[in-house]
Amino acid sequence: MSTRSILVLALALSAGLSVRAFDLSGLTRALGNNSDRITKGIDTAKDIGKVAKGVAGIGPEEEKAIGDSVALEIIGKYGGLVRDEEIMRRVNLVGRSLAAFSDRPDLTWRFAVLNSDTLNGFSAPAGYVFITRGLYDLVSSDDALAGVLAHEIAHITEKHALNIVAKGDALAAATSQVVKRSGDLRALDSQLQQFDLGVGKVTKTLFETGYPPKTEFSADHLAHDLARVTGYAPGGLRGVLSELQDSGTSPDKIFSTHPPLKDRIRRLPDEPATTAAQ
Amino acid sequence: MKIPTALRLWPAVLLLVATTSAGAAFTAGGAAYTKRYKTILLAEPSPQAKPAGELAFAQKVRIEQVQGNWLRVSGDSADGWVFRGSLSENKPAEGKGFDGIPLLASNTTATAAARPLTPAADDYSQRRNLGNARDDLNWMIKECGAIAPEEVEAFMQEHKKGEYQ
Repeated sequence: MSTRSILVLALALSAGLSVRAFDLSGLTRALGNNSDRITKGIDTAKDIGKVAKGVAGIGPEEEKAIGDSVALEIIGKYGGLVRDEEIMRRVNLVGRSLAAFSDRPDLTWRFAVLNSDTLNGFSAPAGYVFITRGLYDLVSSDDALAGVLAHEIAHITEKHALNIVAKGDALAAATSQVVKRSGDLRALDSQLQQFDLGVGKVTKTLFETGYPPKTEFSADHLAHDLARVTGYAPGGLRGVLSELQDSGTSPDKIFSTHPPLKDRIRRLPDEPATTAAQ
Repeated sequence: MKIPTALRLWPAVLLLVATTSAGAAFTAGGAAYTKRYKTILLAEPSPQAKPAGELAFAQKVRIEQVQGNWLRVSGDSADGWVFRGSLSENKPAEGKGFDGIPLLASNTTATAAARPLTPAADDYSQRRNLGNARDDLNWMIKECGAIAPEEVEAFMQEHKKGEYQ
């Protein structure tokens, strides 16, 4: 069955026509009397119909596909994950206590530490937050850790990465699985290229250009507010940034994809970096 | 050309709007929105109080009273007390995607936390030769899924976070 035939079926189904309304035997003859291919075509058409419903925006399934793929790239580039259950437990308890009061509390939030001695944090759509081992070792208090994690949480709740991805690129994730089942290799290749292009746009921003400064400043302010409402010291993030600035560490090892530390510090309120409880 | 003051201030206004949600200054007489799949309202301003009702996602509520971190709110179907961090100043948007399932419904099941990699990402890892990263990500998913919501709640209670402040 050609791609065109599949699309005709898709249009018919998405227009609300029931498969049972067709004379299936006639349809079989018309499409070459190949029942397997017809069944596959009907499945494909149903799926494409579902894709069409999601065109209005990047939905949760597309976000998961993009987020998973961006997370793979982050892990691949920064030395893999630190497989330490105690560290995982700490970053996830602090991270999830913050995420519970973010603007997307019902996302599946996941936090981990990357095996890299650089000092940086990353996030990927669908709730993935990463900080490097170098940064984790620096943030000894939960207040400091919360400030850093809250900044990355803000990138996800504000959909900063998803806003880079075109709707068509994200939908290609879902469509590629549909086309894969149809067996149309040329169409599949086209969908995969489009999906990879979308992921590439995000990773180029994360690894090379960084978000625009005003996006980072906005994430800093949201992090400050989220830490405060959750009960962490609102000055936790500012404390980490100040400590980094005073450390004399080479700038290319510190938040290299973020605006200069002094600009970020200047825009945050000068508040206590730790809570009395700690 | 001289730029009008209103236009020069516009970026600052946009930044302010974008950064007011979690730190929203809720006041009595104002409005707020629920942001969870299900928001439980309580009979008293305390996490130990009995449930007084529940509200669905993105419901507008009127703030009747503010008491520290707690707000007494009234909605169409229920009223009661809620922790301020559980509400948003802006109405949240709910996305629907490929499968037509709303984000909230798809993520609040017990199995959602332990969901495997999406097939598209699994294929992506093969195309990009990211096999080791895929193993790490699968480990991360497993470890994160093993931390139950009850453990996060106990952590917040012990460390006086969220409603337990």
